[in-house]
Amino acid sequence: MSMEQAWVLPAIPAALFVIIALFNPLIPRRGDFLAVLGMAAVVALVGVILVDFTSAFHDGHFEPVAGENAFSFNWITIGQDFFTIEFSTYVDPITMVMLVVVSFVALMVLVYSVGYMHGEARYGWYFAALSFFVASMLTLVLSGNLIMLYFAWEGVGVASFLLIGFYWERQSAAEAAKKAFITTRIGDVGLLIGIILLWRATGTFDIQQIIAAAQGGEIGETYLTVAMLFLFAGAAGKSAQFPLHVWLPDAMEGPTPVSALIHAATMVVAGVYLVARFSPVFAEVLVARDVVLYTGLITALMAATMGLVSNDIKRVLAYSTVSQLGFMFVALGVGAVTAAMFHLFTHAFFKSLLFLGSGSVIHATHEQEVEELGGLWRKMPVTAATFGIASLALAGIPIFAGFWSKDEILRALFDGGETGAFVVLLATAVLTAIYTTRLFVLTFAGEPRNRQAYDHAHESPLIMAAPLVILATLATVAGFFAIDEVGRALGFAGGIGELVYLEEPHHFSVDWALAGTATAGAVGGVIIGWIFWRGRAERAIAARDWDPALHQLLVNRYYMDNLYQGIINRAIMGLGGVIAWFDKRVVNETGVDGGAQSIGYMGLRLKFLQTGKIPNYALAMAAGVVGLALLAFSS
Amino acid sequence: MFERLPLPSQFDRIIVTGTTVVALVGLPILIVLLVLLTAGQISGAELVFWMASAVIVAGALGAVLVPNVVHAALALVATLLGVAAIFLLLATEFIALVQVLVYGGGVVILLLFGLMLTNAADDPVVTDGSQKPFAALVGVLLIGIFAAAALDAEWAGDVANIVPFELFGERLFRDFLVPVIVVAILLDIALTGAFVNARRERVEEPAADEEVRA
Amino acid sequence: MIPLENFLLLSAVLFGIGFYGVLARRSAILILISVELMLAGVSINFVAFASYLDPEAFSGLIFALFVITVAAAEVGLALGIVLRIFRERRTANVDAIDELKW
Repeated sequence: MSMEQAWVLPAIPAALFVIIALFNPLIPRRGDFLAVLGMAAVVALVGVILVDFTSAFHDGHFEPVAGENAFSFNWITIGQDFFTIEFSTYVDPITMVMLVVVSFVALMVLVYSVGYMHGEARYGWYFAALSFFVASMLTLVLSGNLIMLYFAWEGVGVASFLLIGFYWERQSAAEAAKKAFITTRIGDVGLLIGIILLWRATGTFDIQQIIAAAQGGEIGETYLTVAMLFLFAGAAGKSAQFPLHVWLPDAMEGPTPVSALIHAATMVVAGVYLVARFSPVFAEVLVARDVVLYTGLITALMAATMGLVSNDIKRVLAYSTVSQLGFMFVALGVGAVTAAMFHLFTHAFFKSLLFLGSGSVIHATHEQEVEELGGLWRKMPVTAATFGIASLALAGIPIFAGFWSKDEILRALFDGGETGAFVVLLATAVLTAIYTTRLFVLTFAGEPRNRQAYDHAHESPLIMAAPLVILATLATVAGFFAIDEVGRALGFAGGIGELVYLEEPHHFSVDWALAGTATAGAVGGVIIGWIFWRGRAERAIAARDWDPALHQLLVNRYYMDNLYQGIINRAIMGLGGVIAWFDKRVVNETGVDGGAQSIGYMGLRLKFLQTGKIPNYALAMAAGVVGLALLAFSS
Repeated sequence: MFERLPLPSQFDRIIVTGTTVVALVGLPILIVLLVLLTAGQISGAELVFWMASAVIVAGALGAVLVPNVVHAALALVATLLGVAAIFLLLATEFIALVQVLVYGGGVVILLLFGLMLTNAADDPVVTDGSQKPFAALVGVLLIGIFAAAALDAEWAGDVANIVPFELFGERLFRDFLVPVIVVAILLDIALTGAFVNARRERVEEPAADEEVRA
Repeated sequence: MIPLENFLLLSAVLFGIGFYGVLARRSAILILISVELMLAGVSINFVAFASYLDPEAFSGLIFALFVITVAAAEVGLALGIVLRIFRERRTANVDAIDELKW
């Protein structure tokens, strides 16, 4: 198994999807073990590919033997050489990071789901849809050309839609699924336009060729900027960036493990992956890169503030995800691919852990309003401990994974001279620490506020607890992969800076002043959160009443949902009404019905020409003959 | 014996009508032609042609105009005989013979039988259709068009050639053998079909009927 | 000598009269008679052309023969049909047979 055969990876879950979706009533346990075992196989194969991958490093540079990391065959050819769509895979460090994250988190989530989804209706369908998602996601990160990437991109969108709407009997779930699908679709159209623009300029869909063409200056700068912005629109839609972030909080209507996999660790980072994949091109068009930077910055800050006031445990995590994705885009916006991919890597572990932990809480209490929780650490020590570790990682406390990657991003900003952005992001990091602490404290610490939910609570079964523990371990140690010595000890050329880089290998080092500032901010945030929400209730109320207007603004999510709903209600529904009127009156009644009616009326009148008497017909024929003869003579 | 047939009384009228027509139309023409012939203005062949033409046209008009169907059929016989005369004039005795034999002996008899079987005697007069004026217009226009076409063109030949009997037979049964066979088959099928069609079904077979419906 | 045009005009007149008959007559038998007139006109045309313009091959004569043969077949078959119709509806008037309409 080498990098060339990486196409096997998506094939396994794809086959499982078909098998489980069609035959799950016939398989014992509805085929859940098939999904888990298949995923374990994928993880194993990723490990094998990883070994092959490390051997492709020479002097710290990723230099595989020509073509050994790519696989392709012609899929569709239109014309002689007008249009060729290849089925191709391409493995490079960015792909590798994504493969590890996707396959590992997916395995954890599948194992967890066996416990979490136990006894659900459509249990088999759940695993089928998850397999479909994993297949699409693996295809997405492996694809070497844009068409295949687009297919997979839509595939994960469909999987997301299906899984958000898993409880489709619930009106809110169905609407959330719709909202997620349509909102991301707005970005997807941008992606498609970007793909077409790039194809027009280069005549190929192959990503590496497009990058080479862009770097070689074959595409005009304005054209390339526009194409990249469209591409980024797709990324922003999928990764829930401002102003398309509104779908992700609502996507929490899906089962919690789905949120952990799709809406925290994998699908939502597809946008980050796409921009990282095209980072050499973004480096050519700095205007587009600035758009990425500021979009990420706005999103990070906005989402963090919204997370501060939300009372739904999953929604807080969703805002946190949006915010952290903003962090990644900020890193990409200053060209720090390494930092972005590193944060993606660590974030995947601790954020999926947070979701799985919240899933345990919901599973145990059937309650997801933090106002109704509290004091759960006594009942659920494992969940509380792992959730705590993940919270520390998210807050950016040293040692834990989030600290290292967040520090990398802050440092990249500082080194890149973006001081303003640095300050904003640092403030966001403090806010992150505050809302994370608030969430943890309200859920696990203090006294139970809802006695019934508390009494009902119990520690999760082993099959759910085990993934939590594994992920907690990773959330603790994942940051160390950045350090060269750790990387070498694992057989790599160096830390993650040696793997994923744009121009020069980025050797990890700690800037103590910066790290100290960040740590101080994070610790300060944790302390603020602890003071306000661990103490007496008056403090929390005081925090809320500090500025009621601001609180209202945040609770209402900056009125963006209302704004969109207003636009939809007024502009789109109004336009729809006009079009519906036009379609009904003009197209249908005048055009279609009118045509049919006039023909019908003519038929009603003209049918009397059909007398049924043969002499009449003969006369008509004769008249025709005479007419034709006269015509022939006259010419 | 003659009373049983519908014909005798009509025969009288036919004889009277025919004689009147010949007397009123044929005789003046004949007289004019004879005068022209004796004056050397026209040849004998032309005399025959004009006579035959007069018979043909008069017979055709009779066939399409007279209300009585039996009279129309007899007028047709006159026309066909005239056509046979034209064939003779064109030096094709064989066609003329066939014309007389098939038409006069076969077709007309068949038509008369048809008239009898469709109770022509009960309702011998069938008024013509309401589209008569249009039909006349179309007929005249057709004649005009054909006449114009015939007169418009320059025809190469101006002499009617005599076709030897043997040559004709050779050509018919050597070069045109397959068409002759095909026509023979056609005739066979047509007559079989006519028989099947006209035959009275003795008994409706319900079983067969059911099968067809199923 | 008689010019070819004379025969052609005669055939045209015969054909036109026959056509008039087909269109104007109501009795099926009379329509058949009119068709015979038209066929006779066509035969004259064939034979005239054959003996004036085609003295070696004289294909027209053979066609005239075929016309006569086919006419015989046609009359036989048509009469069969007419008889059939007559038996079904006690009339041979073509204007009465007008089921094939709106």
